[in-house]
Amino acid sequence: MEETTVIASSSFDCGIGSWDLKTGNEQLRFKQCASPSHGLTAVGEKFLAASQLRNASGSSGSVFFWFWNKPQVEVRSFPVESITALTANSEGTYIVGGGASGDIFIWEVATGKLLKKWHAHYVSVTCLVFSGDDSLLVSGSQDGSVRVWSLIRLFDDQQRQHQERTLYEHKFDEHTMAVNDIVIDYGGCNALIVSASKDQTCKVWSLSQGKLLRSIIFPSKINALALDPGGSVFYAGGGDGNIYIGALNSKSDYATQFLGSVSDPSKAITCLAYCADGNLLISGSEGGVICVWNPRSRQPVRSFTFGHGKGPVNNIQVVRKTIVGNANKAQSSWKRNVSSLPPPLEKYERKGDDTVDGIVIVDPPLSSDVPVYSSYRSADFINEQVKELEQQGSAATEIEMERLKLEYKKSILMNDQWQKNYENLLQVVMEEELNGGSN
Amino acid sequence: MASFERFDDMCDLRLKPKILRNLLSEYVPNEKQPLVNFQSLSKVVSTISTHKLLSEDHKLQSKSKSAVDEWVERLLALVSSDMPDKSWVGIVLMGVTCQQCSSDRFFSSYSVWFNSLLSHVKNPESSRIVRVASCTSISDLLTRLSRFANTKKEAVSHAAKVILPVVKLLKEDSSEALWEGTVNLLSTVVILFPAAFHTSYDQVEEAIASKIFSAKTSSSLLKKLAHFLALLPKANKGDTTSWSLMMQKLLISINVHLNNFFQGLEKEEIGKKAIQRLAPPGKDAPLPLGGQNGSLDDAAWNSEQLIVSRVSALMYCSTMMLTSSYKCKRNIPVASLLSLVERVLAVNGSLPKDMLPFMTGIQQELVCAELPTLHSSALGLLRATIKSIRSQLLPYAASVVTLVKSYFKKCLLPELRIKLYTITKTLLKSMGLGMAMQLAEEIVSNASVDLDPKTVEGSDVVSSTNPSLANRAALKPCSKKRKHSTNSGVEAENAAFEVGVPHNHSSSPISLKLAALEALETLLTTGGALGSGSWRERVDKLLMMTATNACQGRWANAGETYHYLPNKSTEDLVEFKLAALGAFLASLVSPSRDRPAFLAEGLELFQTGKSQGEMKVAGFCAHALMSLEVVIHPRALPLDGLPSLSDQFPQNNSPDGNVLSKKWSVNVDVPSNNEIQRNVDLTLPLPEAKRLKRGNDLATVDSLSDPDHTDNVGSENVEQADVPTKKVPESTKESLGHVSEKDDMAPEEVYREVVSETREGEGLAVKDSLMEEAATDKKRESLGESDDDSIPSLEADDYLSSDSDIES
Repeated sequence: MEETTVIASSSFDCGIGSWDLKTGNEQLRFKQCASPSHGLTAVGEKFLAASQLRNASGSSGSVFFWFWNKPQVEVRSFPVESITALTANSEGTYIVGGGASGDIFIWEVATGKLLKKWHAHYVSVTCLVFSGDDSLLVSGSQDGSVRVWSLIRLFDDQQRQHQERTLYEHKFDEHTMAVNDIVIDYGGCNALIVSASKDQTCKVWSLSQGKLLRSIIFPSKINALALDPGGSVFYAGGGDGNIYIGALNSKSDYATQFLGSVSDPSKAITCLAYCADGNLLISGSEGGVICVWNPRSRQPVRSFTFGHGKGPVNNIQVVRKTIVGNANKAQSSWKRNVSSLPPPLEKYERKGDDTVDGIVIVDPPLSSDVPVYSSYRSADFINEQVKELEQQGSAATEIEMERLKLEYKKSILMNDQWQKNYENLLQVVMEEELNGGSN
Repeated sequence: MASFERFDDMCDLRLKPKILRNLLSEYVPNEKQPLVNFQSLSKVVSTISTHKLLSEDHKLQSKSKSAVDEWVERLLALVSSDMPDKSWVGIVLMGVTCQQCSSDRFFSSYSVWFNSLLSHVKNPESSRIVRVASCTSISDLLTRLSRFANTKKEAVSHAAKVILPVVKLLKEDSSEALWEGTVNLLSTVVILFPAAFHTSYDQVEEAIASKIFSAKTSSSLLKKLAHFLALLPKANKGDTTSWSLMMQKLLISINVHLNNFFQGLEKEEIGKKAIQRLAPPGKDAPLPLGGQNGSLDDAAWNSEQLIVSRVSALMYCSTMMLTSSYKCKRNIPVASLLSLVERVLAVNGSLPKDMLPFMTGIQQELVCAELPTLHSSALGLLRATIKSIRSQLLPYAASVVTLVKSYFKKCLLPELRIKLYTITKTLLKSMGLGMAMQLAEEIVSNASVDLDPKTVEGSDVVSSTNPSLANRAALKPCSKKRKHSTNSGVEAENAAFEVGVPHNHSSSPISLKLAALEALETLLTTGGALGSGSWRERVDKLLMMTATNACQGRWANAGETYHYLPNKSTEDLVEFKLAALGAFLASLVSPSRDRPAFLAEGLELFQTGKSQGEMKVAGFCAHALMSLEVVIHPRALPLDGLPSLSDQFPQNNSPDGNVLSKKWSVNVDVPSNNEIQRNVDLTLPLPEAKRLKRGNDLATVDSLSDPDHTDNVGSENVEQADVPTKKVPESTKESLGHVSEKDDMAPEEVYREVVSETREGEGLAVKDSLMEEAATDKKRESLGESDDDSIPSLEADDYLSSDSDIES
């Protein structure tokens, strides 16, 4: 069973709201969260992570974790700088954070280890997206640059020393202002990347060719993107409160269509998410209203109010969770297996010592309660044995038969021999006896 | 008399007890009757399972119950018989009964059955075949028992009773068949009732380990023992520590064995380091595998073959531990595993130059004879490691890539190369695109060698000097020329195959070719688009030729596979054909910047293949044709119910409409307006598009007659071509035939008609015809175009490539 949940957070301290998308019921409200845009992510099905704005002024950033069944913050970590963009791979084994300095950090969730840190952009990272197979990372920055990174190559220290290649696979510098959002479609190695910017354009890039395919101009700055996976169109949330529609294969330089707008037109659309299950588009606005649209009919289906309408919503994510039995049980079984909370994210890269342990922690499958299976053997066993018996009738027995025949012959000869010996002996004894008797 | 009773049909329930009684009297021996022949037992078993004779129907309760009662009574009597053959028959049939009988019966009497079976295992007087059969039957009894949810505790206590007697058998007896039976039984217990091992965990581990270390075990049994040992950490609490401990013991044991085996072949520090990593000096080292008595210093040390078979078994055990599913979290020692694999693969039998030659020639010979087995096990371990951690391999991925690349260079044995290809496949599947970037060149160059039937001579597949192929930008303008030259090239090379003498180097067995093909297919699936401009053309050509050859059976003439034909079944060839076709299809469908160069060949090949006698091949070819249909008729289907404009521009209900309309009033001139129009046409549902057109009728019609703008009519599939000639979607051309009656109609008329139809608000049914008409319209433009220019339309050229080839 799967459950589709919408989670949302704000830059004000309104916590994280969660709703069941099917029924519209509000679920748990996670406390104490004021995250930057792109600062909220679900880590696999395990927990929620959000970067915090609070300490942004201080020397370090902060990232909090929540479990799905508990409103309190469970784990607090304090990376070296404030994390402006946060995401996790689909399995929830790595968390990637982009810092205000333009550095990107990769943490291993199971150990909290900072595996890698590199200087990705000159200024603050605004958004991070994994490619469909989690092997590439696309990052956008405040200065309008977009970079594509191959994670495997980032970890390849040897090759980097030998080859004077740039770290990134592609760089896209055509945006003139901050990149606000990035989406990547299902094209695999030929995927299209769409980036939205403050400069009122969305640009479509080819991953395989590493170049700009087209640029689409919108009437306002674009804050958020969502992709309609099957329709080769994307939705763009504008600063003017409208949701526009762009075509990936657009011939036009201008966006021509729009889906709708939030009730209060002065409030900008700040985030969008698409739920393929039921084809729903979810928008969040500065006014704190989360609206679920049916993009086919262009009608809003339902809406949630978040933070009593005070705070702007700046993150929305659709999370699909597997339900084993009931949600609590799944959670507890995960917790039981994991034995404890995930460790906090470490501040610094450990040098040298990972050659000693080099351990990767693999979680058991969540559905570990499925009954184990063992098959019956008797019927096959009988057939095997019978076959064996039949086979012995042919080759093995024949060899055995020959051997026995040979032995039989030998025995007969031996028998004759003994017989003769006996007779000879008997004769000797008889003769002795007779001779003795005569004596 | 019973024989006068009639039955409805073969499914008549009343038949069941009759048949069962008949079986019982005819084929199953009793106390007095001796066993007639064993063969009839198979018949008994199959009859029972076909007719479900033991299921006891409720409708005929008394009759079927009494028949089954009789059956069970007879079996119990046989089980406790003194004659081993009768006892054997009773035991094996009891196993079948455990599987087949009704739940009620099983539940009420399993305890009795269990005890009578167990008594044979415990009884030292029982003959061997009776004991083996008892193990199997108990295993089935426990399997059935595990499906009852309400008797967990009792079941566990029953299962626990089995373990010690069975371990005793394992220790005392010396028959392979009996060992196998006991290991099977133990495996069943550990899978179904891990808690049963509560007190006997160490004993079991010791017994199994000593069997693995004993010199007298056959390789198949070794595997079974190793597999069971891998399952053992599930027992007890099944926690993380017991898994880690077992893994640690295994790795230490493997490395200790290797230290001995690699003496003189590698530096001693390597082994020391490996052990140090596994058992750091500060910490307590675990007991050796199999406890204190885990004899590592026995006579077997001197036999290279024995060491290798042991190490292989231990590696297999680690492999199973990595790939089986456990309920606990696992700490996988990736670094140790990878360094172990690296260590093994580094030794190739040559003596290191910077070391004194410790080894005699004979020793080296013995080691070299066993090394391939060892390498094969190490590669298996590597694959299992990758599979178990998948994406979490990330920090180690680069070193694995280096390892794979370097081993590819020195690996010549087909068996090992096959494993290596499998590993690259696993890497690609688990790490995706990023991995494809790293491995592409390696896979392509190696697969080219393995697939090439005549590697050494020039003018081969890989280093094609065809200039038009090398020319990446060569798109439509020279496509005609390219097609032609390629075709003739293929012909020439095919001719060469038929007369060519197979070169020695090309003797790669069919299974290796299969692995290479699969690796290429996986590469194309994960990262086909990356190769545009580098390896892609080579691969496309290679796969086209391989598929063509495979289907025409030319490989058979070209040498190596010929040897396989007499003794190997044709299944191999079918498999190979499927792999070749699969890889070829991937090369046609995998995204690329260019049109697939061998589309025509592919279509023809699959068309021919579709009518082949071999159903698998025919089925695949049909599937391939369906996949390719999208390539030859690119679809730009309108989205059903896609959100669209409620009016021409969003000014009416958009709060910021004035901004938009201002933009457009500034920017929009006729051509760009037209452009937007077209775009809308392609992506919008038709009624909406038409509504748009209504407003712009004049502008649209004007632009239609303007040939300068016709190039805007294109689908995404062709828009990336560098040549600024006019492009028409394939689908347009396709509709050419269907709508010929419209040809005489002026474009304006068509549009009007379209518009008026929309106004009438016709339903969905109209849509199709609308689309066709719109398409015709566009097509007309392009046709007019190409008629005016004396140069034939390039798309038409592609479309009719075979014809144009002939013409030219």
